[in-house]
Amino acid sequence: MGFFVGTDVGGTFTDLWVCASDGRARVFKSPTSRDVLGGVREAIGIAAESYGLSFREFCAQIERFGHGTTIGLNALLTGSAARTAVITTRGFGDTLEIARMRRQTAGLSEIEYTDAYLRNQFGPLVPRRLVVEVDERIDANGAVVTPLDENQARQALRELNGAGVEAIAICTLWSTQNPAHEKRLRDIVREELPDAFISASHEISPAVGEYGRMCTTAANAALGPLAGQYLARLEAMLRDAGMQVPVLMMTCSGGVLPTAALNDRPVFGLNSGPAAGVMGSQAIGERAGLMNILATDIGGTSFDVGVVVGGKPIMRSEIVLAGADIRVHSIDVESIGAGGGSIAQVQFGELRVGPRSAGANPGPACYGRGGVEPTATDADLVLGVLDPDNFIGGRMKLDLEAAQRAITERVARPLGVSLMEAAWAIREVLDNRMADLLRRQTIERGYDPRDFALFANGGAGPSHAWVLSAELGLDSFIVPATATAVSAFGTGNSDLGFTAEHPIYVRVRPGAVPSEKQFAQIGEAIRSMTAEVRANLERAGAKANARITRLMAIRFRGQTHSLDVELEADAFGLDELRHATAQFEEQYNGLFGHGAAFSRAGYEILAMRAIGKGALPPPALATQGEPLKRVKQRKVVFRDPKTPVDTAIYLTAFPEPGATAEGPCIIEFPGQSVVVPPGSKALADEFGNIHVRKSA
Amino acid sequence: MMQGINAVSFEVIRNRMVAITEEMRIALQSVSGSPTVTEASDFFTGLFLPDGSVVSMGFQVAFQAPVSGTVIRHINKSAHLKVREGDMFIGNDPFIGALHQNDVQMIGPIHADGKIIAWAGVQAHQTDVGGMDFASWCPKAKNVYQEGIRIPCVKLIDRGELREDVLEMIVTASRLPDALGLDIRAFIATINVARSRVSELVSRYGSEVLEAAMRRMIDSSATRMRSRLADLPDGDFHACDFIEHDGHENRLYKLDCRLRKRGEELLLDYSGSSKQAPGFINATRAGLMGGVSGSVLTTLAWDIQWNQGILNAVQVVAPDGLICTAQFPAPVGAATVETVWSISNATMLALNKLLAASPAYRRRAQAVSDGCMATFNLGGVNQYGEPFGLHLMDPIAAGSGAWACKDGIDAGGPITSPVPAIADVEKNEQASPLFYLHRRLARDTAGAGKFRGGLSAEVALTLGGIEHAEALIMTHGAEMPNTQGLAGGFPGCTVRQSFGRGAVKDGRLLNPELQALGPKPGLTPMTRRDVFAVTWQGGGGWGDPIERDTEAVGRDVAVGAVSGEAARTIYGVIVRDGSVDQEASKNERRTMREQRVGRFVTDPEKFCKAKAMGSIGEALFVARDERGTHVVTKAGFILATGHTRWRSGAVARTYEQLPPEHRITLHEGLAVTAYFCPASGTLLGLDVHERAARPPEDAVLDLASFERLWQSEALRQHDVSSHNEGEDNGSD
Repeated sequence: MGFFVGTDVGGTFTDLWVCASDGRARVFKSPTSRDVLGGVREAIGIAAESYGLSFREFCAQIERFGHGTTIGLNALLTGSAARTAVITTRGFGDTLEIARMRRQTAGLSEIEYTDAYLRNQFGPLVPRRLVVEVDERIDANGAVVTPLDENQARQALRELNGAGVEAIAICTLWSTQNPAHEKRLRDIVREELPDAFISASHEISPAVGEYGRMCTTAANAALGPLAGQYLARLEAMLRDAGMQVPVLMMTCSGGVLPTAALNDRPVFGLNSGPAAGVMGSQAIGERAGLMNILATDIGGTSFDVGVVVGGKPIMRSEIVLAGADIRVHSIDVESIGAGGGSIAQVQFGELRVGPRSAGANPGPACYGRGGVEPTATDADLVLGVLDPDNFIGGRMKLDLEAAQRAITERVARPLGVSLMEAAWAIREVLDNRMADLLRRQTIERGYDPRDFALFANGGAGPSHAWVLSAELGLDSFIVPATATAVSAFGTGNSDLGFTAEHPIYVRVRPGAVPSEKQFAQIGEAIRSMTAEVRANLERAGAKANARITRLMAIRFRGQTHSLDVELEADAFGLDELRHATAQFEEQYNGLFGHGAAFSRAGYEILAMRAIGKGALPPPALATQGEPLKRVKQRKVVFRDPKTPVDTAIYLTAFPEPGATAEGPCIIEFPGQSVVVPPGSKALADEFGNIHVRKSA
Repeated sequence: MMQGINAVSFEVIRNRMVAITEEMRIALQSVSGSPTVTEASDFFTGLFLPDGSVVSMGFQVAFQAPVSGTVIRHINKSAHLKVREGDMFIGNDPFIGALHQNDVQMIGPIHADGKIIAWAGVQAHQTDVGGMDFASWCPKAKNVYQEGIRIPCVKLIDRGELREDVLEMIVTASRLPDALGLDIRAFIATINVARSRVSELVSRYGSEVLEAAMRRMIDSSATRMRSRLADLPDGDFHACDFIEHDGHENRLYKLDCRLRKRGEELLLDYSGSSKQAPGFINATRAGLMGGVSGSVLTTLAWDIQWNQGILNAVQVVAPDGLICTAQFPAPVGAATVETVWSISNATMLALNKLLAASPAYRRRAQAVSDGCMATFNLGGVNQYGEPFGLHLMDPIAAGSGAWACKDGIDAGGPITSPVPAIADVEKNEQASPLFYLHRRLARDTAGAGKFRGGLSAEVALTLGGIEHAEALIMTHGAEMPNTQGLAGGFPGCTVRQSFGRGAVKDGRLLNPELQALGPKPGLTPMTRRDVFAVTWQGGGGWGDPIERDTEAVGRDVAVGAVSGEAARTIYGVIVRDGSVDQEASKNERRTMREQRVGRFVTDPEKFCKAKAMGSIGEALFVARDERGTHVVTKAGFILATGHTRWRSGAVARTYEQLPPEHRITLHEGLAVTAYFCPASGTLLGLDVHERAARPPEDAVLDLASFERLWQSEALRQHDVSSHNEGEDNGSD
């Protein structure tokens, strides 16, 4: 027996996905422990037991171990990361304080933006007293304007010595153009504070724009000591138990890397959970031949959407975490406050649902934990979508009466409608808010949502998916076998991935051509990035099959918004430039309408990026499952709250390939309920995924 | 069931309309080339009813809310402007509907079933639209003809066809035709997005339902706004702000706001403002309405969806010919940063005095944020050999005002921009020929108070990559502290702008002593050896500074927010070797109280022992005993009986300059009067006013309505009852 394992440590649960060499995959959950490691150990223990093995026997048979964790983000949010100091250019020590004025509105939802009273929920990543200014200045061309005063820098570092600093972030102006001062400062820090973990901005976040670069470098430094210890302990625990393979860590960009490759850049794994979720959907899609995917996840408080186009997830270059602008190329996962816990309320005769959430405590009224406000979960219970006796596999009993009472008192009566109408209204408002986000993530980028397959993940995803797909005009949706642990699945199935970045600035005036020197600079940037990516992938264990994508960010001269175009090779000359700008204009017209392009403006080339992927073949999941078991039937509301429909209820833990069920029906899994509306049919594929499709 | 539409469809469409204005923003920011749009959010997107009422707007400059509506109404009553499907109109005429000429806007009708069901509007600040000076802000202009091109309301897209000739005429007027051309293309893309999204809604719900939903959105906000007003006490409130220097002369101009609140009605009267000026600081009535909107939306409607329903609750009175209702052909080029900004300061100050007297919203009362927008524009040929013009947005990184329960935000900026931002130093140096010597927070800039304002940021810069350029430097607020405090809080510092000729070498200042500039030096040549340095206004403070927690002052000193001297002279806190000397501070504060009023009044007849029923600020309370209803101080001292005009009962001291630690310079026409509790020396209020005349009482409450509200908020009573138990009886 061999096991492929994926783990994802979330705020509440540690999820474990295991695929045995017989091809059958299972999901295990354990509460996340305070020290994180304990929860992982516990989850592995549960898995081992279910296979009739000891912890050691199980570990010894692990063939791949993927891991994602929110430990870093939690550390930043709770201030338990390493005590970090920042070294920067004289005159700019307040960069994290001023924060481009952006920190004050970080974390606010759209409906909170208009309320200035709510601003400033996050402090700077590093307090001002731990920011050291040094005499030095480099200009936009990389020329040294003020040489580095080494003695002054040394003196300033010595003054820090008493402050108990564990990590140092070095971020000086224009180090992206000329890293000489940052490199020299690193040497000086090593001499003065030999035990400190050091991050230099030109390595961690080589992009123009000091605020995001400083945030990213500071976050990286603050996480360094902690992440290193945590990963070392995790590796040791598993190795001591007999595991032969390295731990593969999930990164925000959707690839995995061995822990050794991430030790000096933990910020790359800072928000890997959502990325792993999208990669999980992408991996399932790839096997099913689906290249365009809307990867949705509906949990208790939020609705998350990632978009995969042509087999590649859409990326973003920056993400706001812990109030800071973190410049790490990440899978773009957009989120709104809409989920099972979203609270419905009527004010002035109007119904609003979310973004306020009842969370897990007190939770929806039907949880019986003292919640009195009606939520989407209460509506699902009243509508018959949820079974009060079979929620989370029967581990929790739901209080139908409490749900009815909450909806009657707070929605039905104030609106003057029936209980069922009120419950359906809650659903409709909430589902439409989610559909709005899906539209925004597709139409706004020039895509037609009908060209996509909707993947429904998270506890509440499979019960809302039929409405979302109908709203978007899709014929079908897919509920992955691992819908409740898709991030864990993603960590167990993603390829090795490494991204390198190189800033460059070439301004091409209309009709002009870059100089030979500029062409040479671009070529050199491409070559060095590609080499960096290749070396890192090889170090991570990739075989000769590494695939490298080279991207160039271009915009019209004078614009701020750039687009990425793909380059074919390392060499870059006039022909390649023409090809790149033509590709850029084509994309641009696609996004903003034909004729929107403004080539008379000329172009600006801003940055280069290389993304490497090394295949790590996941196991072939030839599965065996059980037939869908029809257990009962109940009345469920589909669209018309006045006439609930008799609906068959099926139970399964893992459906066998080819199992089908005609809608209206609900297929109840231990942690999710797949709702199949009238006129649709569910079909389980060979991997246990359920495809719900409109009957022809 | 609501009129013509059910609750679910309404909520679904409402969310969608808000999402569409957000999609318009993204389209605009993606295509625009203006850093003011892409980095600093100086723009507007919105959807309007056929009658010009705004239905939904983006989270950008709140001043712009009513502007496009005015232009739509202009079209509706102009027979010669035929509106056809696919048309788009462009305009920037402040005498029709624009805050000033730089704010170029475009609007397009959205048709369904052969008629107009809505309009989409978009606007963005353009760096240059012509006129006698670069950047179209012309300090020496005497009339509007000398300023930027005025485009009344012109059809730029005729039934889907771009009128290239008209576009050419418009961009030709600008010193930066490419940037303007790119933004106009961005406007077209933005309106196209709005049209296609709204059309999808029409095809789904039908135009009747959509129209009903849009009207209901406005009604919905109106209902919530009325309810908000009903929750606030009735009374008459007053606030004013001043602008110095009209471009020609350093004269003082007043923006005077009298707020009258009765039941669900709010009236704002600006009749007491100065007559229109001979220079470019004026605003037209469109500017006045913009300033009013920006204040009312942010200060009263923070949790209500922003649209016409909120604005309709406000009645505005202002005769023609004032600085805020300037008549043609008055110059108005700098309206947004001068009169519009100050209208908003005065209005927000009055509104916050109203909030401060309310039991439900007292803690939301906020002193003035970011009182002015100092201007630094630079033009010439850039490091790439191209003509350039930049409008530095850094000045919005001034301090925000203190709240009644917490400090203001350092570099928090204006609250009239819901999502403010400035560009990275590196981004600015890459795009423009600038070289920064510093961008940092500035010590002792925050308005002092029990809760202090936010610090302002400051910058010093020279040229980078070029030898010379032409700079336009102008501001107000160099001799008027526009970020006034509340409840005895001090204003933040005044703007300090200075210049050093030949003062830079190798990226460093040779001599830190620079030449101070007045408020409006105007155009000046600049070389790469010159430096321009500027510090903006910190946020206003709340409450008496000597009631600030001494440890908080100690922390301010430790991080460099407050100097040791300011800690002593303003806050009465002595910091030695990095820690607060509590004993010495206690003595210092006691001495300060005595110095403020002389001998404390102790006559028991002057005190009221009854428990307060409510508060009207930080240290003022309303209490009733057998003698009547009084305004009392925290010490229980009776200032007024039977009404809330309490100033005559306090000890008043008038100053022509404040101690230097405040970093406030007062114009020769201004003075500051402080009012102290005769029994304890607590600072109760602080007025900035014309030297010749004291301002009227600022909060004349209807005591019956005040009492009713406070009694119904039983929960709040607990907080208030502490007034008799406080340590503040002169023995602090």
